[in-house]
Amino acid sequence: MGYTLAEKVLARASGGAPVKAGQDVEVKPDFVLAYDFPGYTDVIFKQMKEEFGIDKVAEPERYGVFIDHMVPANTPQEEELHIGTRTWCAENGVPLYERVGIGHQVASEVGYATPGAFVVHFDGHISQLGAFGTLAIGVRRHLLEAFVREYISFKVPHTTRVNLTGRLQKGVMARDVFHHVVRTLGPSSCRFQVLEFGGEGLSDISIAGRQSMCGLAMFTGAITAVCNPDQATLDRALPLARKRLDPVCSDADAEYAAVHEIDLSALEPIVVVPPSPANTADLADYVGLEVDTGYLGSCVSGRIEDLRAAAQVLKGRRIKPGFGLHVIPTSQEIMAEAAREGIIATLVEAGAFVSSSSCDYCFGRIATMSKGQRAVSTGTLNVRGRMGSPDSEIYLCNAAAVAASAIEGRIADPRDYL
Amino acid sequence: MPLPNLRGRAAFLFDEVDFDVDQIVGVKNIKIQDIEELAAAAMQSYDPDFAAKVKPGDLLIGNRNFGYGHPHYPPMKAMRHLGIAGVIAESFAPGYWRGEIAMGFPQVPCPGILAATERWDALEVDWTAGEVRNLTQGASLPFEPLAQGDVEMLEAGGLVPFLHAKVDRAPAT
Repeated sequence: MGYTLAEKVLARASGGAPVKAGQDVEVKPDFVLAYDFPGYTDVIFKQMKEEFGIDKVAEPERYGVFIDHMVPANTPQEEELHIGTRTWCAENGVPLYERVGIGHQVASEVGYATPGAFVVHFDGHISQLGAFGTLAIGVRRHLLEAFVREYISFKVPHTTRVNLTGRLQKGVMARDVFHHVVRTLGPSSCRFQVLEFGGEGLSDISIAGRQSMCGLAMFTGAITAVCNPDQATLDRALPLARKRLDPVCSDADAEYAAVHEIDLSALEPIVVVPPSPANTADLADYVGLEVDTGYLGSCVSGRIEDLRAAAQVLKGRRIKPGFGLHVIPTSQEIMAEAAREGIIATLVEAGAFVSSSSCDYCFGRIATMSKGQRAVSTGTLNVRGRMGSPDSEIYLCNAAAVAASAIEGRIADPRDYL
Repeated sequence: MPLPNLRGRAAFLFDEVDFDVDQIVGVKNIKIQDIEELAAAAMQSYDPDFAAKVKPGDLLIGNRNFGYGHPHYPPMKAMRHLGIAGVIAESFAPGYWRGEIAMGFPQVPCPGILAATERWDALEVDWTAGEVRNLTQGASLPFEPLAQGDVEMLEAGGLVPFLHAKVDRAPAT
């Protein structure tokens, strides 16, 4: 039997001997990432020093820190957190990326998405680096281990494989593929496993789309998701890579926990109904439901193809008066690209409110809804209170659907506008 | 030191699949820092008298994929403050699992537990035998063994003492 991508990455990072799913290993992360957030980085920096007597991390080049939440700071306390983070990074010689975008995306722009690398973060959406053949895992507070030890204890996960065939139809986007996986395989189908996308249909999905699909992995119960890197991925990722590693792919005879098939051409736009990421439904069944606000952005959507799709829908049209459409490109690099393509002008002329990249719209720190309001959103999550009042509602859908809904002030089918 | 057996009553049965633990305190209370205030908010929508009924050592019972969604730490901090000593569920969501094991809070994956338990049944989790005993009903169910690292973390009492044990026994470099 052959090996999965995850097994190969963990074998290399744990010393070279082959490993199989289920095995406990001591593994050295190639990169240790975090964004500054109260209760995580401030606590880790403090515990590292006070509990473990470690003044500086060894090999600072293995680390990367992002300031992307609470940007811009809204209180002096938030700015103090940022100051603490800047100071720690300067003292430790750790690269800091501030105000350049959402860290999970910036990580891919600055080379942490090295194909074949093993990456840890406290936040599970780091799984999106899997689009580049990177095994990236969110470990919550266990991240402390990667700040006080060279190796971390880890159990090699099993992998569930999803083979894609066919091509997406107009108006159906990559994140619909992920929501379809939740819908058909179930929200606990990949618990403690790696979700691996493959098949000839994958070649029709852009790298940005793969980031979207991999970034949501946790809602199948998976600890991460990966795609075997193809030539286009390697051409993009290798010149940026921060470490010279051999990219790896799953063997054709790798042992999977389960293998599933999805025909992309049969998929329809999906809406994820509050209050759980498990509540998937056909968007068509919710068309007409009144919505007050829209959010196009986040670490899983808000990339150039999402912005292009929204611009295509909104070009020459106006969003409904009173409807608040917030568009936040995932990174400043994407913002600049959108500006060069004229997308920003199209969106602004249609009435969208476009802001610089920040995580703050996604978790309700900015533009919070009041009781009874509803949003259409390309954010990560639709649990109660995520974007304001616990009595407001979030309907997750693709970027084109958010744009179409903004025109009507009701959930709308983007296919009517494309 | 091996884990001491958990002995307590089934203080509540959460029968919802994919249960979002934030609901225990309610999303509007999730940012409360004061533990007394947080504990007072806990379980209000499930059983307003919960705090008065629960005893130290009691256990919670959950359905499949317990802890799904975007779990925060405060709900289980509140539960521990009220005396809850662990959670037995059909299965757990990984993010929740990792977070609570790091807090040194015992979690027991035990398929069949929900159907086999009535509220307030007396239960015992026997780590050595690998079974959950229902002392009220005189029945037992095997639970799924925990990963070695998780057992060690519970034995140590959480992430920080667990890491101390590792770092301190590591050879000097």
